[in-house]
Amino acid sequence: MDKKQIDFLKKDCADAASWSIEMLGELKNQKILIAGGTGFLGSWVAEFIAYLNDNHQFNISLVILARNTDSFKDEKKHLGTRSDIQFISKDIRNINELPEDISYIIHAAASPDNRNHVSNPIETIATITKGTDNLIDCAFKLPDLKKFLYLSSGQVYGKSLPNKELISESDFGSFDCNKITAVYPEAKRMAEATCCAYSSQYKLPIVIARPFSFIGPYQLLSKPWAINNFINDALNNKTIRIIGSGDPIRSYMYPADFVVWILKILISGKNNSAYNVGSPLGISLKDIAEKIIHVAQTNVAIDIKFNNHDLSHYVPDIAFCEKDLGLKINYNFEDTIRRSIAWFKLLQ
Amino acid sequence: MNTIHIHDVSLRDGSHAISHQLTKEQIIAYCTAANNAGIATMEVGHGNGLGASSIQVGLSKLTDQEMITTAKENLTSTKLAIHVMPGFATINKDLRNAFEWGVDLVRVACHCTEADITERHISYARERGKEAIGALMMTHMASKETLLEEALKMQTYGAEGVVLYDSAGAYLPKDVHEKISFLVPNLNIPVGFHAHNNLGIAIANSLTAIESGAQIIDGAIRGFGAGAGNAQLEVLVAVLQKLGYETGISLYKILDAAEIAQEKIIKELPTINNLSIISGLSGVFSGFSKHVARIAIENNLDPRDIFIELGKRKVVAGQEDLIVEVAIELKNNKINNLKH
Amino acid sequence: MRKKLKVAILGTGNIGTDLLIKIMRSDYLQCTAFVGRNLLSKGMSKAINLGVKVSDQSIDFLKNNPELYELVFDATTAQQHVMHAKVLKELGKIAIDLTPAKVGILCVPSVNLSEALKDDNINTITCGGQASIPLAYTLGQVHPNIEYIEVVSAISSKSAGPGTRANLDEYVETTEAGIKYFSKCQKSKVMLILNPAIPCIDMQTTIQAIIKNPDMVRINLEINKMVGNIQKYVPGYRLLVPPTYEGGRLIMTVKIKGVGDYLPSYAGNLDIINCAAIAIAEEFSKTKIN
Repeated sequence: MDKKQIDFLKKDCADAASWSIEMLGELKNQKILIAGGTGFLGSWVAEFIAYLNDNHQFNISLVILARNTDSFKDEKKHLGTRSDIQFISKDIRNINELPEDISYIIHAAASPDNRNHVSNPIETIATITKGTDNLIDCAFKLPDLKKFLYLSSGQVYGKSLPNKELISESDFGSFDCNKITAVYPEAKRMAEATCCAYSSQYKLPIVIARPFSFIGPYQLLSKPWAINNFINDALNNKTIRIIGSGDPIRSYMYPADFVVWILKILISGKNNSAYNVGSPLGISLKDIAEKIIHVAQTNVAIDIKFNNHDLSHYVPDIAFCEKDLGLKINYNFEDTIRRSIAWFKLLQ
Repeated sequence: MNTIHIHDVSLRDGSHAISHQLTKEQIIAYCTAANNAGIATMEVGHGNGLGASSIQVGLSKLTDQEMITTAKENLTSTKLAIHVMPGFATINKDLRNAFEWGVDLVRVACHCTEADITERHISYARERGKEAIGALMMTHMASKETLLEEALKMQTYGAEGVVLYDSAGAYLPKDVHEKISFLVPNLNIPVGFHAHNNLGIAIANSLTAIESGAQIIDGAIRGFGAGAGNAQLEVLVAVLQKLGYETGISLYKILDAAEIAQEKIIKELPTINNLSIISGLSGVFSGFSKHVARIAIENNLDPRDIFIELGKRKVVAGQEDLIVEVAIELKNNKINNLKH
Repeated sequence: MRKKLKVAILGTGNIGTDLLIKIMRSDYLQCTAFVGRNLLSKGMSKAINLGVKVSDQSIDFLKNNPELYELVFDATTAQQHVMHAKVLKELGKIAIDLTPAKVGILCVPSVNLSEALKDDNINTITCGGQASIPLAYTLGQVHPNIEYIEVVSAISSKSAGPGTRANLDEYVETTEAGIKYFSKCQKSKVMLILNPAIPCIDMQTTIQAIIKNPDMVRINLEINKMVGNIQKYVPGYRLLVPPTYEGGRLIMTVKIKGVGDYLPSYAGNLDIINCAAIAIAEEFSKTKIN
């Protein structure tokens, strides 16, 4: 990673800190473990904590637990060589004990890549269910555990309900549990149930976050998701292809908001509660493509073909986070797209 | 939904019919005519796709590079497509180059129960900004539930459509309806159908597919394809016109293209001969015909017996080497039977 | 009483466990450590029941207990083996690499066993490679200037797990390189087909070659000899279609049925690699110890 990219991320961290620093004070001098810490969220947590330590003397100690920590250390040397970041290379299914002084745990250990879920469904279920079980069991022995946050998924809600534009934490839709595409959300739901069981039986302080969709630094444009493809095509001067009507509604949160929300939920989230994390500003795929073209200042065309009846919406209702935790959306859709495109242009 | 996308497989499936001996002149002639007629997407290459030229499935006269670059030079509005089978073509050796040479769209194909082998090729195509469509082959061999599961995997990998291939020409219209109508409402990407004419119902099957919700139909000019050939493309255009569908193809110009193809490329117009009927009934890949015919003659066997035995063994596309094994076994059985 | 070579198995999944069963049967090898990352795996239970020392500390256990073993079978992943290979080299141990890592010499026991023994890292290539390279090599011995060799393998869908399916490209390219290296033929092509038929098909590999004026008598003789050699360490290997010249090409087909130690018998593709790995280790035992 070069200096421009690191500075870019520092600016985002500074913006994030500017509105959230007061509400995150409880993290000072704490030791946080993030399982699956080399992924998208983990990378942002590391960046933000490094920023808080360097600029605001938060003195947080971060432990990154992942199966393979070498590529993270290689690619993100500015993080990998820090003395306030420790690494443990282990599969969460096999870890037996955790450093005793850990007070906060973020369990983000699962691949969000849907391709992997359908090609490797058995491993997907095992990592999510056995991994969660094992990690919480290890957390049980920590003398000073203040909170365990499980990063679930907005996919646990199933099919979107027809007349509800926003999905609130109790809006569960239907599932066809015999389809291969149900494997991942079902496993995530099982992991949530595991959290509930441990919380109830062992009185562990566990909270759940259900993330929706994100775009920004540390996302890969090569992933087969709509917005990633649209940006990739726009930046490479290619026609943006939308399969279907272009009417499905989606929303995207910028990762600098994501990391603040997760840390606040970690500190102040109510036991055994689930919180949606994402942007409530729903936009159609068609409009998303148009916004990207506008922001990227390119002239590519949009090709909408093969009309279908997909009118799904995948947009969270965030009233719970707003009222209960005082969280807000700092980057609106336009800002999110602007910052994201600026970042990806840096990488070109 | 009034638009049907007709995908032209003449210069790929048709390759089987001439033992993959397509020439540059033939490619130029047909590409020009098809481009002129408004064909949206067209496949070029060896019958078994990119990188398939081999003893196993037949050596092609031209290299992949020659076929692709020649086609590209003679197409302006028509997008250039290829058929690719993981296990035959690799990303590093074959697909990467194909994109350099100008391919716009890949049909990533596999046996209908093995979609997870297409993950990397589909992902690679999408990463390169190209169009990728999943192709499930020999689909008469799997239930509609299995086909949906495999199609869902391809959709997850980034496929922008999934096409059910009747590689053996074994489907009846009710089979088409059952499978296509099951897939369409359960996928967010368009569904297609690729017919073969072994039982004389390629056009009827294609129409049934459309009525069941398919939006992509494969056709070949004059039906020029493996075995008994594919759905006859210019007939499809005419019928769809009569039914009120938009195809973007000019009827007169595609008829002219058919004349050109017949004169310059198609040595024998596809017919439903005895072998095609038997292979269709046995559910064996249409592309096996010429190999079976040859090996039967060399071993003094009835080719129909070979096809029936191959069908019993549930042979899949690419397993042409089994033909020799079956022939030897049948020959030995014959000798043993004569002894008794 | 012959002294047995002390060996460790790294990787306690199905492949590692099958190796364990084979080693228990061997007159030349003794398994002194069965290590991986998960004490709860089925393989670990089996090893414990067989009285074999186990550990979930993986390569760290091997680092800390070098006196326990001389040779290690690595049945983990290519990425992990690259790291393991360095560790084992520093400890002066022999590594038999069953992953696609290819750090050391490629070995097909019936072709270059003695040469491979000179190296301390030996790779077992691929299943198609183990099945076809000895035959391609034999053709190359009879006819030094073969124009082209082609290998098609068909395996049962059930025997191809997510790892195989995600690495078809590597399988094709590695096997092609192996064919060219051992047969000295400049052009080769390899194809792999998965067949879902039930009952599961056994692994079947067809080798085809373009050779001018092939000496069919000699080819048949040498190929049958080579098949006999392979059968000494791969009992389920047999010639299905003997070398036949038809349609301007040479064709022969072999079928490989698995022994069924821990892997199912239809997984001849996985078994042939394990058989090859055992054959290599046993040769080390025979030459280095006795």
